[in-house]
Amino acid sequence: MSLTITNISKTYSNGRTSTVQALKNVSLTISNGLFGLLGPNGAGKSTLMRILATLQEPDAGSIHLGDIDVVNQPNRVRQTLGYLPQEFGVYPKVNAESLLDYFAVLKGFSNRQSRRQVVEALLRKTNLWEVRKQKLGGYSGGMRQRFGVAVALLGNPKLLIVDEPTAGLDPAERVRFLNLLSELGENSVVILSTHIVEDVSELCTRMAIINQGEILHEAEPLKAMEALKGRIWRKIIPKNELIHLEREHKIISTKLLSGRTLVHIYSQESPGDFEPVQPDLEDVYFAVMAGYVGNRKSAAA
Amino acid sequence: MKCWEIFRFELTYQLRRPWPWLFLVVMVVFAFFSTRIAILPVTLPQDFILNSPFIITSVTVFSCQIWLLLAPAVAGEAAARDRQTRMHPLLFTSPVRKAEYLGGRFGAAFALQALILLGVQVGSLLAVYGPGANPELTGPFRPEAYLAAYGFLALTNALVATSFQFAFAMLTGRPMASYLGSLVLFFLSYPVTLTLYGSRLHHRALLADPIGILAIMNEMMSNWTIVEKNVRSFTLEGPMLWNRLLWVGIALGMLAILYRRVRLVHPVPTDWWSQFTPRFTTKVKSPAPTGFTRLSRSIPPARQSFGFRTNLGQTLAVARRSFQGIAMSPGGLFLLLIFPMLVTFTVLVKMQHWGVPLLPRTAYLLTRHLTGVLTSPTNYWVMVPLFTIYYAGELVWRERDAGLSESVDATPVPEWVLFLGKLLGLGLILATLMGIMIVVGLTVQVIRGYYPFEIMRYVQVLLGLKLVDYLLFATLAMTVQAVVNQKYLGQLFTLIAYLVMVFSSFLGIEHPLLVYASGPEWYFTDMRGVESSLGPWLWFRLYWAAWAVLLAVIARLLWVRGKEQGLASRLKIVRLRYTRATAGFALLAVGLLLSLGGFIFYNTNVRHAYVTDDEQVQRRADYERHYGKYEGIAQPTRVATHLHIEIYPDRREATIRGSYRLVNRTRGPITSVHLEPAFYVKTRMRFDRPARAVVADEKLGHFIYALGQPLQPGDSLTLRFEVTFEARGFDPRGLGSTGAGQAILENGTYFTGDALPIIGYQSQRELWGADDRRKHGLPRQVTLPDPGDIDPRVAADAPAIFEAIIGTSADQVAVAPGELRRTWHQGERRYFQYGTDVPIIGRYVFFSANYKVHRERWKHVDLQVYVHPGHTEHLNRLLRSIRASLAYYSAQFGPYPHRFLQVIEQPGNFMGMGVDGSGVITGGEGFFQLDPKGAGFDALFEIMAHEMGHQWWGMQLQAAFAEGGGVISESLAWYSAMQLVKKVKGREALRQFMSIMRQPDPWPPMRTGLPLLRAMDPWANYRKGPYAMHALSEYVGEARVNRALRRLIEKKVSSLATTIDLYRELQAVTPDSLKPLLHDLFEVNAIWTFNTRQATAKQTAAGHWQVTFEVEAQKVVADSAGVETKVPVNGWVEIGVFARAQPGQKLGKPLYLRKHFIHSGKQTIIIMVPQKPARGGIDPYSLLDWEEGDNIEEIQ
Repeated sequence: MSLTITNISKTYSNGRTSTVQALKNVSLTISNGLFGLLGPNGAGKSTLMRILATLQEPDAGSIHLGDIDVVNQPNRVRQTLGYLPQEFGVYPKVNAESLLDYFAVLKGFSNRQSRRQVVEALLRKTNLWEVRKQKLGGYSGGMRQRFGVAVALLGNPKLLIVDEPTAGLDPAERVRFLNLLSELGENSVVILSTHIVEDVSELCTRMAIINQGEILHEAEPLKAMEALKGRIWRKIIPKNELIHLEREHKIISTKLLSGRTLVHIYSQESPGDFEPVQPDLEDVYFAVMAGYVGNRKSAAA
Repeated sequence: MKCWEIFRFELTYQLRRPWPWLFLVVMVVFAFFSTRIAILPVTLPQDFILNSPFIITSVTVFSCQIWLLLAPAVAGEAAARDRQTRMHPLLFTSPVRKAEYLGGRFGAAFALQALILLGVQVGSLLAVYGPGANPELTGPFRPEAYLAAYGFLALTNALVATSFQFAFAMLTGRPMASYLGSLVLFFLSYPVTLTLYGSRLHHRALLADPIGILAIMNEMMSNWTIVEKNVRSFTLEGPMLWNRLLWVGIALGMLAILYRRVRLVHPVPTDWWSQFTPRFTTKVKSPAPTGFTRLSRSIPPARQSFGFRTNLGQTLAVARRSFQGIAMSPGGLFLLLIFPMLVTFTVLVKMQHWGVPLLPRTAYLLTRHLTGVLTSPTNYWVMVPLFTIYYAGELVWRERDAGLSESVDATPVPEWVLFLGKLLGLGLILATLMGIMIVVGLTVQVIRGYYPFEIMRYVQVLLGLKLVDYLLFATLAMTVQAVVNQKYLGQLFTLIAYLVMVFSSFLGIEHPLLVYASGPEWYFTDMRGVESSLGPWLWFRLYWAAWAVLLAVIARLLWVRGKEQGLASRLKIVRLRYTRATAGFALLAVGLLLSLGGFIFYNTNVRHAYVTDDEQVQRRADYERHYGKYEGIAQPTRVATHLHIEIYPDRREATIRGSYRLVNRTRGPITSVHLEPAFYVKTRMRFDRPARAVVADEKLGHFIYALGQPLQPGDSLTLRFEVTFEARGFDPRGLGSTGAGQAILENGTYFTGDALPIIGYQSQRELWGADDRRKHGLPRQVTLPDPGDIDPRVAADAPAIFEAIIGTSADQVAVAPGELRRTWHQGERRYFQYGTDVPIIGRYVFFSANYKVHRERWKHVDLQVYVHPGHTEHLNRLLRSIRASLAYYSAQFGPYPHRFLQVIEQPGNFMGMGVDGSGVITGGEGFFQLDPKGAGFDALFEIMAHEMGHQWWGMQLQAAFAEGGGVISESLAWYSAMQLVKKVKGREALRQFMSIMRQPDPWPPMRTGLPLLRAMDPWANYRKGPYAMHALSEYVGEARVNRALRRLIEKKVSSLATTIDLYRELQAVTPDSLKPLLHDLFEVNAIWTFNTRQATAKQTAAGHWQVTFEVEAQKVVADSAGVETKVPVNGWVEIGVFARAQPGQKLGKPLYLRKHFIHSGKQTIIIMVPQKPARGGIDPYSLLDWEEGDNIEEIQ
């Protein structure tokens, strides 16, 4: 099963005069495995995710999941869709087990016996079994997030869309959650949108970097890092030298380090008194965002 | 300063939203129409000035009630938007003090509401000064009237309502909860107040009303004269002042509580009832383990299915969750728990009439208390549509409010499952409510010791008939919410839709095919059952069900799913949703509603003659214009009527073959006869001599026959006619929910002689409403002439001999006026022959039903009583009253002239009893609801005595159509009943009777009416008149007064009487010393007030007791503009001293009762009595001071 996105565009009209183009001609092909969609806030990630989750209609373009036309056959997609929204609430006065059971009904588990087993398994898997009788209103952010995951996992979805899922999780939970996702990726298309580079670098087999509604770069993380090898250089400088450096080099990122500034620059050849860096995904991300790598390369360079 | 900033920000924020302006516009429109159309019940045909203080005030208070339901969102937004949008952490952490925050927000809400209510005055002004206004109805501009209405009513209401709405929203953190705050106030201001009012708790009712609508209506509507209504300004005084003080106090208290309760902190999720049990909050008890387990604990494989069966299961799951969501919410608990308890309580309290308990028969409970007509909300059942409106919004928005919508929308359920499931959930709530109402009904019956339970009837009516209407409305409400997709606007539009349904007739939409969920109502009476009303009901509901399906299809197509919320993008998605099944449903619905609508239209408009109200008015105007010239022309007089009636109850048909004997009683020859057949029957008419129809106007119902040979004075002719009743289609109005009215039915047939042709022009068919007449260019009519303007020789209705043979099916009894001469069977049918020897007047009435017949003879009178077989317990009390009345009235006022007297139970659930004609008294089934076993007030006896009185006053003595006419008939009939009670049962019983009469319901005392001689208002006719006659009989002597009355009958045997005739006879028997009293009672509107301030007694040496009273007396004369002038009392007033009351007595044995000369002001009276006195005072029997209260005091 693979997901093919072809030339998707979406424009929001913002009031009477201004319009915002949230997606511009986005095309992607995603097969089984964990796919990371990386981009800054407001890049269009959530719009794309919601279009994939049948919650929005693109203005143009088509999407196919296997033989399903996602835009025109939303109900067929939903039959095999798992979706964890970026933000969601719960009925505060209902307990987890009963609300999950409700979702299980909506997802088509019509047999009561097997539904109960599925619900139990998911509650155990998300470690909510002990608190299943407690009202959701009293759940912590992480518990609520896990409940959302349980809902998304109902029915072993072939297409799982998780929109910035790790924001509310503590570091340990985050790791376990990502592990869970990668396990699921063995049999399904899992799309993870995030603005946290580590999420992608640790797990995703493939990734895309999106900004201002455009896919800037689509690659496998390892290969992308490989491709940058020998092109990223670093130097630690006093703060006030940054202005000079900017004039001379293609700076992709700066970071404060013990009161001084750590600068990464992009350069095909050795730029002199810089030391080479083993590029990581963050360098890829910043290089793409800065326009030195990826689809917009020529435009920015 | 910050407070001001918060206020300013909130105000400008909301003013940039659409809804405050929409609310404002709706209020302008509503006030405009209610002023223009005078939506308020105008009970008298007089002109109302549209900008009179009365109209301005009434429109204001009435609009306030609508506004209450309309605009709670404004306050809800101000109170809870921060929490709804989860912005509160930002605000609550800023250095804003609670008082500033709450003050600013509440202030803004209040200001907005005050602004919206300003729309009422704008609409009111536009109606008067805007285009199309009628200058004739415009009085002088009185800015103070608008200011008073706005300041005293609108602003106080804005404060009260805003504080409730604000508090509800603030405490729950949900803007929509403000609607519940409004519902509480609405519930108090309408159903509760009305119930209290109807339960004789007037002062409580006036206080309980947070909007003041009843206080206004009570004070101004019934206590102000027409003149007062047009000129008197509304001010806060009396009960209205207390009402405002109380409610402003409650509002401020509410705000104080709110201030104490609200904490500007993160709200900890708790159950709402934990508000009351703060120690047992439900927080998560154990810290949950974190993280995810390994996937190795894999999910068991389970089959998912996405077929229709699964969808049905999903629908049920959605329904169950929706049901639980509502049932567990405070509003749901109110609806399903508190509301039924209140209904139970209300039924138990209200199940009485005149202090006599009513039998809790199933038909009565179901029609009167346990149901309400959806489109005419006259009792507490209006709460159900209001709750439906609220919960439709809550359900449609449920996932979005909880933030769950994206998860739910991404599940593989079709939209129809979500819509239908929610609708079903709401339907289940309504069904549960109906089920609970069955329990309420049975509980009431058990409490009242009534055991013939008719559970299937309850199920049929509540879960069958009533639920259908509510489901139809729920579908509409859910569809509107789904389509409008803005909660407040959805609510607003649903409410407007409901108002349009309720007030459709005012908007000129009459046909029930055009008003959603309307149609002929079902009824349920013991005699007529339910089934006979179900046919048209069912057709109409099927038709509306087809509409509901269509609505559901629309809701499904436009159902909001995901982020595409705009109408345009939703319309784009419709292409995906318009599946073959949906198309099939839509097609089916359209097909059904067209064919059902067509069938209904055929039945209401083709087979049944359908006439709109406007058309009716037009016809009456045309009638007057065309034929008014024939008013009073010489016509022959009917002297005998012969009828042969065949009633076929099973076929719902009847035929009347009959003839009139017409005599020329005029002095000249008559060349043509004017005949008017009834509209609702087929009539054929033929004279016994050559006659030619020169006018045959079927539309206006006027026929003129030119006689071949003029009818010479004293000559007579015979008119033969054949009248056919056919069951033709549906009457779109039906018999109403009382089931009363003319109809030929399987059981409980009733029709009147109005079906027979009438001779001559009928002036009572003319338009009488001043407004209607003006619109149709007809000259103004004098409503009621002064009695002095009546020609004393005007002839009374000519009495006629009556004879009828009436046949019906073998198992029924048929009734027509007259002595029952014989009865026989012929084949499958049974025949009765009735007849009169003495000519009778009045309206002929005919019945056929499975009656239980009681017959007996009182002297020359054939006494016949016909009641429903289950209603025979009443016979003894009724017969006792009839016999006593016949004996006493015959002796006092002259012999009873007829050889028959009939009492007939008329089918239909109404309380009234009345006189239809000579010797015929009918009472509705409701009358037989009065518990005949009670030991308390003997209403059956008293009411019967009153109706028997009408056999003299009204039947023998006929009142002219003039002011004071009600005194001739009603006052004298009640006076007769009072005298009879005194004679048969004693003074104590009369005292009790009078204390019941003094109840302000249904007629509160009016201090400012016209004097009795020109009386028009019901209080004067039914209360003051009898009191005055009673006082006169005590002062002048019963024998003398009754002799005067007897002489009046003798003198006016063939002409109409006025109060002037009555007054002349009374003057003739009143000694000169009492003439001033007679003058005060009849010629002016005098009001006496007596007060016993102090009553002491001490024993004298001789063993006697010396009683000293300090009394105060006052007399005023009031004119109809409400101006009261003090006049000296100077008259004889009874002073009484009484022994200790025995059990069962109100007053003890009188030890002393004599008239003393009393002057105005304080005075001391000393009396000696032989025994130890217990109580005493001035005017102890309330002969002159008609307000009960401080006349009698305990003697110290």
